[in-house]
This record gives sequence, C-alpha cells and structure tokens, in this order.
Amino acid sequence: MLEIKDLHVSIEGRAILKGIDLSVGEGEVHAVMGPNGSGKSTLASVLAGREGYEVTSGAVTYKGRDLLETAPEIRAREGVFMAFQYPVEIPGVTNMYFLREALNAVRKHRGEEELSAGEFLKVVREKIGPLQMDRSMLKRAVNEGFSGGEKKRNEIFQMSILEPALAILDETDSGLDIDALKIVAAGVNGLRSANRSFVVVTHYQRLLNYIVPDYVHVLADGRIVKSGGKSLALELEEKGYGWTEETAANPQPVGV
Amino acid sequence: MVAVVEDLNARLRGFESLRERAAGEPEWLQRRRRPALERFFALGIPTVKNEEYKYTNLSALPQVEFFDAPPAADTSAAAYRGLGGFTLRFDSGRLAAADGEVPQGVSVRSIAERLRNDPDGLESLLGACAAFEDHALAARNTACFEDGAVIEVAPGAVVEEPIHLVFAAASAVSNARVLIAAGRNSQVRVIESYIGAGKYWTNAVTEVYAGENAVVEHYRAQLESVEAFHTGCFQAVQERASKVSTFSLSFGAAVARNDINTRLNGEGCECALDGLYAVKGGQHVDHHTAIDHVMPHCNSHQLYKGVLDGSATGVFNGKIFVRRNAQKTDAIQNNKNLLLSDKADINTKPQLEIDANDVRCTHGATIGQLDAAALFYMQSRGIDVERARNLLTYAFAADALERIRLEPLRTHFENLLLRTFADKTEDRQGVTEWRP
Repeated sequence: MLEIKDLHVSIEGRAILKGIDLSVGEGEVHAVMGPNGSGKSTLASVLAGREGYEVTSGAVTYKGRDLLETAPEIRAREGVFMAFQYPVEIPGVTNMYFLREALNAVRKHRGEEELSAGEFLKVVREKIGPLQMDRSMLKRAVNEGFSGGEKKRNEIFQMSILEPALAILDETDSGLDIDALKIVAAGVNGLRSANRSFVVVTHYQRLLNYIVPDYVHVLADGRIVKSGGKSLALELEEKGYGWTEETAANPQPVGV
Repeated sequence: MVAVVEDLNARLRGFESLRERAAGEPEWLQRRRRPALERFFALGIPTVKNEEYKYTNLSALPQVEFFDAPPAADTSAAAYRGLGGFTLRFDSGRLAAADGEVPQGVSVRSIAERLRNDPDGLESLLGACAAFEDHALAARNTACFEDGAVIEVAPGAVVEEPIHLVFAAASAVSNARVLIAAGRNSQVRVIESYIGAGKYWTNAVTEVYAGENAVVEHYRAQLESVEAFHTGCFQAVQERASKVSTFSLSFGAAVARNDINTRLNGEGCECALDGLYAVKGGQHVDHHTAIDHVMPHCNSHQLYKGVLDGSATGVFNGKIFVRRNAQKTDAIQNNKNLLLSDKADINTKPQLEIDANDVRCTHGATIGQLDAAALFYMQSRGIDVERARNLLTYAFAADALERIRLEPLRTHFENLLLRTFADKTEDRQGVTEWRP
C-alpha cells in the first residue's frame, strides 16, 4: 500500500526527517509515536502533500505510484486521507456543501456518477450515527465555532464519507477528553477493513488502547529508532521516550 | 491657460440645450438648476488633487461627453426582470417603458411627467436632500437631469412589492435621477439597476427622504459596461425613528464612484449602509460613505466587502460624524477586502469625528488574501485548487449579501457572484437560477 524509503525532509533548510523507512501493507494499522519535535507531524504532512516541505532525498510510493509527484487533491482522490491535527475553519462554506464537493470530486475521479444533494443526504444519514454528531454541524460552516472534540469528530466523519484506502491520523487524540476519544476511536475502528490501512500518529499511548495497532514505530530526531508490535507502545508508556533513545542503534541526542 | 478656456468652451457646448429645456419647467426648478450649473463649473470635475478623489481618476470624463452614443443595452436579459413588483425602465435617464402594476399606497411616476402635469408638492422634495455645494457631480446632475423617477409613499402605507428602476445607457452621458419620499409610518423597497454596453458616463443622484418612523429599503445594482464611467450619489435625510438601508452592489464600470450619505435628523433613527464590490482587470471602484449623527440615540451600521482581482483598484472611505448633541450614538463600520492578485490594490480609510462623549463607535478594516491553510484543507479532501479558490472567494463575498432582506434579489445577486467567480458553482445547493 505505502512504501517509504530513506525519506529525508527539510523545512527552510533545516533537516527534520533524516531517513525514514516504513512499509504499510493492506489492512494494517501502524502507529507512529514520538516526542514533540521528533518529526511525526512532518511525516503526516509530507504524505498529504502540504506545501513548505522539501524532500531532499528518498521516495514514497502509494499503490506502486510515486506519491510525492502527485498533487494533494489527486492523492485524496486516489484514496489518501489525512485527519488534521488542527482542522481548518472555512467560514461561509457549509460542512454539507464542502463534503459533497469532496465526495463528488473523488467519485468523478473514480468514474462514478456525482451525487445529487438528495442522494448525498442519504449517505450522510447513514454515516453520521456512530460519531454522535449533532445534525446542526452539517449546516454550519466547516469547523467554524466547533469545539476541539467536534472538529476531530468531523475529521473522522469526513473520512467515513470519503472511504479512503490509506488514512493518516495526525494526533487525532490530542485535546480530547476520554469520552470524545472513545467516540473517535470507535469511528476509526468501524472503518477498519482488510483493504484499508491506517497510519496513526500520536504522542500518547492512550489512543492505542482504543485503536489497537498491528505495528508500533518510535520516531526520534527524524528517524525511526524502534519498531515492534503493540506491546512496544505499553513499554514506551512505562519507560518514557528517553528509553528508546538509549536503546536506539545509533543514539542521537534529541533536542532542538 | 488657453487649454483651460478651451476646455471650458468645450464643456459649455454640452449644456446649450439646457436653457431651452428649462424654459418649460416650473420657476422654482429653474431657480434650483442655475446655481447648480454655476456650482458645477466653479468646482469642475474633481481631479486627484482633491483629497476626496485622491485615488479615483475622473480626468477622462470631460471627453466622454463627446463620444458616440453607446449601443443599446440588452434590457431583455434576466438580470433586469423577474423580481416582481413594478418596473420602470429609463433609457439615458428618460422614461422608456413601464411594466407591472403600481402597488397600493405608492405613487411611482416619471419626474418629467410629474413636472409637466402636476408639479405641486415637488418643490419641497426635488433637490431638497441632494446637497451640491461641495459635490460637483451632484451639482451637474441637478443642472442637467431631464427625467427620472419620483416615488412617493403615502403615510402609513406598507409597500411590500419592490419598485424596480432600470437605467440603461443609450447616450454618451446619462443623468439618472431618483427621488424617494416615504411618508410617516410608511415602508417601501426600491431597487435601482444600472446597465449598458460600450463607453459612456452615468451620473446618478438618488435622494431619499424618510419621514418619521418610515422604513426605506434601497438596493443598487451597478452592472455597467466595463468600459463605462459610473458616478452615483445617494443622499438620505432621516426623520425621527426612521430606518434607511441601502445596499450597493458594484460589479461593473471601468471607473465607479459611489457617494453614500445619510443625515440622521431625528432621535432613534437607524441606518444600514452595506455593499459588495467585485472587480477585476483594470477596473476601479470607490465607495465614499458619510453618516451624520445629528441627534441622540441613533444607530448606524456599515459593512462593505470587496474582492479585487487582476490589477483592479479600490477605495473605501467611511466618514462618521457624531455631533455634540448626538449622545448614545451607536456606530459600527466595517470594510473587508480580499485581494486575489498581487497587482490588485485597495485604499481603505475610516474617518471618525466625534464631538459627543457618551457614544459607541467602532470601525475595522481588513485586507487579506485567500487562506492558504483553508485551500490546502480543501485540496486534501480532493477538491481542485481552482475550485477551492472560487469557493473561498464566493464564501467571502456571499457573506455581505446576507444583509439583503429581499430574498429574490439576494438570490439574483448570488447568481451574479457565481458567474463572476465560479462557473462550476452554479449547481450550488439552495441557489436556483433566477429566470424571468
């Protein structure tokens, strides 16, 4: 599904990712953990195609195609979805309208019929239930005036509408209380399937109690310093990120 | 000096017919026109040396008077019909056609016809609100207008059906004139549309007199040809507890200048001056507003939004005067601009003069570009970047249209906006194409 090979990324000349290798197979859930400044969000952003990141070397392929050469909207249409750490407010564009635009762009790309407002409403009714979202959120402008929890639920709701093949969750748990976290995690778990892969980027192990990963990778100073099964997350929780640095093959001081 | 004299002579040629025409008019009007013409000549067409016209160059206007008549405007287009109510069409300021039925409680007539047949009662109204001492273009209109619309609302009459005045350019210079006099406790809605093709000059004056507790809802759709000059002066005088709102939609003209003034002459008045301008290419649009808070307990609200693309330029200048007696004034002014290109340019300036001490006056001006984060967010959901730009631009501008209470007109303006910015957004939910 996703192959990242020796990925080096800089922001304004400063190296952030210093050689990432990661292979995500179909239907797998990979957690990428790491302390602040380790490059987690940079990795998510590069995969989604955000501007301002310079790939200095390495390659990323998605379904066998060069992802980095693909425009962000085409990535999305091809099935890459990123749930934002900080979802953006778009005053004046209703959530409903925005989502229909997005879904129709994806459908058109796949050679499917675009949905009318009525048909789209049916899809929405079907998908909104599990996320316990207030219907009024659909009529409001995208994320405008939403609470932190509402914004994150809206991200997962968008994901459930767009049905991506690869979902990247960028710190979806940050700022959520335990109830909201459970709802969001249930939403994600409901979307897990044999042909959908997830990259779950998180700072805290807590999320992984609810979204149980197949693999855990620990990122420190722009490198994956440790990879393992789900038990690695628990070990991390117990011993702290300092532990991974000590045990890393090539220990590097973390710090800015 | 020679050049100046020649210029004056050239200009005078354009006014030869005035004396002849004035002979048939009531004496009080002749007495009003003469000083107006003199005032126009004394002031001349404003130049950029005039602080009020610093960014708006009208130096081409003296020549425009000698251009050939523009081709006839297409008045069958959807934009000028279908709002219901009663429509009067003027070609170059002269009544050309009427359509629909005049609603109950209001009289809508041609100024020329009214002057000819029963001029009584007009003396205290026509030219009473539109001061021209310091306003050369209003002076010129007062000296030159041949016809126009006079709308008189009977006291207590509530006229829901809109009255639509369509001004189509059919000669090099059009002097459009509108007089709205709303009696005590009355209510009226008036739309002015300006259209044309080719190169010409429209110089319009609208006077509004709102009697005690009257409500006047006024809309102005400036959709002139992109080669045209449009100068418009809206001047209202409000009596106690009256409410005047005027919305200026300015999409057309090469150079557009709108002066929008209201005087709050009684306690408890409200006024709402709002607008949306959207210009591109080399277009220039200028809104100058002035609200004179003379009496206590009055509210004024202003929201002007603008979208400027290409190398278009814009001006917003909002004056609020709060006189010594005008305690408890509540005045809000906002001007928000979206620049879609590096070459587009806007000059925005609030100007508050406050002589009372117990008032609330706020003003704000913003100039921004499309939000890059929002653009990326939309792209990351599969929406292509051009479409995302159009949607964000539409969303920014459509917000200003919320101020329009006349639903079919708002829909119509939304459609105009869609056509201006986004071809593909026409299937937008809730927006139905407006057809006659």
